[in-house]
Amino acid sequence: MMKCEEFGLLGLDMDRADALPEDAAAAAQHAAGCPRCSALLESWRELKQDLRILHESTRLESAPARVEMRLKQELRTRREARLSRRTARVAAWVLAAAAALAAVVGWAHWQKATPTGTGTSEISAIPQASPDRTEPVLLAADYDTGDFTQLPASMPTASSDQAILQARVQRGALMQFGLPVAPEQVADWVDVDFLVGEDGQPLAVRVHQDSQSEAVTQ
Amino acid sequence: MMRIIDEKEPALLKRAVRGDEQAFLVLYQKHQAPLYRYALRMTGSPWAAEEVVQEVFLLLIREPEKFQPDRGELGAFLFGVTRNRVMKHLERSPREDSLDEINANGTAWREPEDPLTPMMIAEKSERIEQVREAVLDLPTEFREAVVLCELEEMSYEEAARACGCPVGTIRSRLHRGRALLLAKLELLRDAPRRASAGAR
Repeated sequence: MMKCEEFGLLGLDMDRADALPEDAAAAAQHAAGCPRCSALLESWRELKQDLRILHESTRLESAPARVEMRLKQELRTRREARLSRRTARVAAWVLAAAAALAAVVGWAHWQKATPTGTGTSEISAIPQASPDRTEPVLLAADYDTGDFTQLPASMPTASSDQAILQARVQRGALMQFGLPVAPEQVADWVDVDFLVGEDGQPLAVRVHQDSQSEAVTQ
Repeated sequence: MMRIIDEKEPALLKRAVRGDEQAFLVLYQKHQAPLYRYALRMTGSPWAAEEVVQEVFLLLIREPEKFQPDRGELGAFLFGVTRNRVMKHLERSPREDSLDEINANGTAWREPEDPLTPMMIAEKSERIEQVREAVLDLPTEFREAVVLCELEEMSYEEAARACGCPVGTIRSRLHRGRALLLAKLELLRDAPRRASAGAR
């Protein structure tokens, strides 16, 4: 038999769908014999009815349409931001690739244009400035470096694979080999012999005396 | 559209986060109304409820990684976030508005259609208003139990899961909430009777 205290805890649940059948039966039995609990149950049923009406009156409530619009706007904004971020990322990669390509092409050109590959090409470029001789003449080395002047940047070697390259250049061109040239003689044309090592680099230079005197007479 | 609706929620969420508006709308339409009603019944303010629902879905858009499908369903996650926001709102501004204001759609609270006389309708309307006020005057935890178990008609287990507390706690809160509601409404309904008895 249910007591009033238990009815207070369980009795008001007797109409709920999830109430245990035995609890509901005990509560109904108690309410039938207890005027106080019966009145409580009656009051609760009235209130429950009002709560149900309140529930019904708000059953169809939902967030206003403007919330959906704001959320859609947020989605669009984020999508656009993501798109522009992606575009910026792609553009950055394209720029980087273009810069790398430009660097490679530039380097390749520089490699082609700069006379660092072989001594032969470096030296052959010098005579091209000469109005008289267009092609340098490569002579067999006589292993005699007697009058040659060692170029500052070269190392003396005892190799037999050396050659003498004859060219006519302006005296100013000798400056690039580290040789001192008086400013007033920069434009003078002189015949020079380059002693070229096996790696193609010029090792020593010899200026012909006759061209020196010729320059002087001019 | 049918294909989208049939998709699982985590998949829909992934698509929504990638910017698929349709996928997002499917999720929004499915969950927004119960969340809005809960927020409305707890705060009593359509503006607050609107703000809460908006914040909840904005969070879903901005930080979707906070929802982990292996820890529960999206509905439960959203309810949890809504509940937190509602509690924060109630801490910030307890009971600022009445539920009978015009709601955000521009429509007033709907009364169910009833073939009653204007007098009876007015009385009934007043009674419902009293109940609404009484629910909103309950302390937060009792109000929540009443809202979930009596207005949302959740089972005790569902309400306990939603609140993250044991079933016994929900039962006890509901018991206290009901008792407070009954006391308040008895007082309100007896007042006119006492007044008319006193006048005689």
